[in-house]
Amino acid sequence: MTRAAIVGRAGEPRKERTGLRPGQHAFVWGSLIPIFLYLGVFALFPMIWVVVLSFFNYSPVRVGDGPLGLGGRNPFIGFGNFVAMFGTTQAAQLFRTAMMNTLLFAVLVLVVNLAITLPLAVLVESVHERLKGFFRAIYFLPTVSSAVAVAIMWGYVFHPQQGLINNLIKLVGLTPPRSWLTDPNAFFLGVPLAMVAVIIAYVWMDFGYNLVIFIAALQGIPREIRDAAHIDGATGWAEFRRITVPLLRPTLLLVCTLTMISSFQVFVIFQVMTSGGPQNQTRSLTMEIYENAFRYQAMGWASSISLVLFAMVLLVTLVQFRVLRTDWEY
Amino acid sequence: MQRKLVVLMVVVALLVAACAPGAPAAAPSGEQPATGKITLRLWSHQNTAFIQANEAIIAKFMEQNPDIEVKYEQFAYDQFIQALQTSMQAGTEADVIEMFGTWVCSYAQGGRLAEMPMNIMSYAEAEELFFEAPLNGYYCDGKLYGLPNEFNLEVGGALVNPALFEGKGVPYPPVWSDMDTLREQASRLPEFDGDTMVRAGFNFVGGDGLPFLLLQGILEQGGSYFAEDGVHFNFDTPEAVATIQLLTDMVQKDKVVDPILFNADSNDPWGSFFAGNAAASFIGSWAAGAGRVDYPDLAFDYVNTPPLFGDEYNFAADSGWGKVVSANSRNQEAAWKLVEFMTAEQANALAFNTTTGTIPALKALVENPEALLADAPWVEPTLKLLPHGHYIGDLTDRDKLFYEIIYPAVLQSLQGSMTPEQAAQTIHAQANEMVDAAP
Repeated sequence: MTRAAIVGRAGEPRKERTGLRPGQHAFVWGSLIPIFLYLGVFALFPMIWVVVLSFFNYSPVRVGDGPLGLGGRNPFIGFGNFVAMFGTTQAAQLFRTAMMNTLLFAVLVLVVNLAITLPLAVLVESVHERLKGFFRAIYFLPTVSSAVAVAIMWGYVFHPQQGLINNLIKLVGLTPPRSWLTDPNAFFLGVPLAMVAVIIAYVWMDFGYNLVIFIAALQGIPREIRDAAHIDGATGWAEFRRITVPLLRPTLLLVCTLTMISSFQVFVIFQVMTSGGPQNQTRSLTMEIYENAFRYQAMGWASSISLVLFAMVLLVTLVQFRVLRTDWEY
Repeated sequence: MQRKLVVLMVVVALLVAACAPGAPAAAPSGEQPATGKITLRLWSHQNTAFIQANEAIIAKFMEQNPDIEVKYEQFAYDQFIQALQTSMQAGTEADVIEMFGTWVCSYAQGGRLAEMPMNIMSYAEAEELFFEAPLNGYYCDGKLYGLPNEFNLEVGGALVNPALFEGKGVPYPPVWSDMDTLREQASRLPEFDGDTMVRAGFNFVGGDGLPFLLLQGILEQGGSYFAEDGVHFNFDTPEAVATIQLLTDMVQKDKVVDPILFNADSNDPWGSFFAGNAAASFIGSWAAGAGRVDYPDLAFDYVNTPPLFGDEYNFAADSGWGKVVSANSRNQEAAWKLVEFMTAEQANALAFNTTTGTIPALKALVENPEALLADAPWVEPTLKLLPHGHYIGDLTDRDKLFYEIIYPAVLQSLQGSMTPEQAAQTIHAQANEMVDAAP
C-alpha cells in the first residue's frame, strides 16, 4: 500500500481518518453541540457549582458582591464546611446522624435485597418457561410504581390502628408495635423500627430490578457446567453454592454497586413515610442536603454534604469493585 | 484547527449559559409591552382561602387600574421557598411576593427586597395603621420592606368539635377559665382502642404550637427568651423548664394526647382535627377560616384557651403573611401601589381577613370589628388577646429555631426521652449556636 493510498488526495486526509465526507462534519457537530450544551448546563455546570459552593458560606437569600453571587455576604471559607462536620455543633451532629443512618440503610437494604432476590431468581428460573414471564412481570411491577405512591401505600400498611401489618399481628394473637413510624423508643434487633419499616418498603419497591438482572445472568450460565456438576453428584444446594454463586460474581458486583448507589440516593420514601423522624432516626444524607439547601437556605453547607455523599458512593463502589472483581469469563 | 474551534465554541457557550442566571438583564419581572400596559406578577403559597382572597382583591385592583395587569401564581409551601431562592438568584421572581413577616428581614438584609418608598408610606405612618407585632416583621434596620396582611396568632385559641365533646359528656362550648379546667376536661375527651389512643382530647403537639407555647409560658411567668444582648437566647431558665414541665404533665399525667401518635409528622393538630381524630386542637384562628373553606360540612368552633400561667395573657406573635416587592422588579411604583391596595386599604384588608379567617393587622378593623365579625365570627375570641401580643423579635432563623431546635427538644420531653431540664438546656445551647453560626 502506498502512502498516497493511506492519505488520499491532497486535502482529504480527514476523510480517511473519520470516514466522514466534509459535508457530514457539520451534521455531526450540529447534532453533538446541543447535547454537549445540555449536559454542560444541566449536568456539568451544577456539579462544578456544587464543588464551588462547598467552599463558601453561601445562601441564595443573600446577594453576594462577586460574580455569581459569591463573596461579600456569601464569604469564602475554604474548608470551613468540611472542618465543621467534625465539630460538636447541632449541624455537625445532625450530619453525622444522617451519615450513619444512610450507611445503615444502604447496608441493610443490600443484605435484605440480595437475600431475597438471588434465591427468588433461582426459583423463578426453575419454573416452566411460560410462568417465568408472569413472575418477572409481577415482581417487576413495584419498580415502575411512583415512589411517592409506594411510600403513601406503605404508610397505610404500617398505620398503628388501621394498618394491615398491625392487624395481621393482632390476628395471630401477638401485640403489635405501638407505632411503626413515629415511636422513637421502638427497635428491632437494635435497628429503629421506623428504619426497618422504610427498608421493607424500599426493598419491596426496588427488588424487581435485581431479580431481573439475576434471572438474565442465570440464563447465561452454560448448561454444560450444571450437567457436569449433576454427573459428579452435586445436590441442588451444592450446585447453587459451588456453581451458581461463583459464576454470578460479575453480576453480583453489578447488583451490589447499583443497589448501594441507589440506596445512598434515596429521598422520597424517607421524606413521605417519616420525614426523617422519629427523633432523626431515619434522617438520611439526601434529606439533610434538601433541608439545609431549600428549607434553611444554607446552600454552602448542603453542597459540602453533597460532596461527602459523592465521596461515600465513590469509596463504597471502589471497594466493591476491588472485593468482587473477577479476571475470568465464561 | 476545526476541532479547536468547536471546543472553543462549546466552552464559550457553556460560560455564557453558566453566567446567564446572574445577569440582571435576564430578569423578566414587570413586563411593559408596547401597548403601555404594565404586567405585574404576584406569587404566594397555596392555601385555598388565601388564594380566594387574593384573587378577589387583584380583580378589584385591575378594575380600578386598567393600565396594570396582575398575573397571580401560587406554589405549594415547600416549593414556594425553593422557587423564591432559585428565582431570586436568577432574577426571575415576581414583582410582588406574599411573604411571611418573620422571613422578611433575612431576605431584606440579603439585598433581595426593595425598600418601601416614603411616598407610599413611612414607618411612622404605618405604625399608626398597623399593630406593632405584625408590622415589625417588615421593619429591618430602620427600613420598611412591606406591609402585613395579618396578625399571626398561633396561641390563645383552639378548634373544638361539638359532637365529640357532647359524646363524652364534656360541657360545650368549653369555657376554659384556667389551665386546670382545660386539663381536667381535655383528659375526658380522648378515645382509646385498648392502650392505643385513636382520638386525642386536646392536640397541641404541632410544629408551631410547641414553640409558641414555650415562648408564651416564659413570658407569662415574667421571663424572657432573649439574652441581655437581645441577639442570643436564654432558654436555660426556670420559666422555660416550668413551661416544658406543664406540657409534659398534660401528656404524661393527663393523657390529653399521645405525642408518639399525634405530632407534627403524623396526626398534626390541623389534620387530626379535621379527620375527626382530635376533639380539640390548639392552633391559630386562621385554621378556622381555612377549615370553613376546606371542610364546609364539619361543625366546629374556635374558642379561647386560657393563659398557661397566671391570669393574664402575654405571648409572642409572629408577623404573619404580607406583601413585599422584589428588588429586581422593574415596575416598583406599580408594585408598591398593589401592595398598598392589598394591605392598607381597609375594605381590601377586611376582605382578606374575613376570607382567610386571619386576624387583621390593621388596627381600625379590630377597633371597629362589626364588619369583620359579621363574616368571621370565630376570630372574636382572638381579638381581645391582641393587646397582649408582642412581636416575637429577631430570631436569626425562625424556621430553624422552631422546627429544628425547639419543637424536637420539647417533643422529646413529651415522649419521655428527655427531662424538661434537658430539653431547656438543649434548646438553649442549639439556639445560641445558631446565632453564632449566622454570617
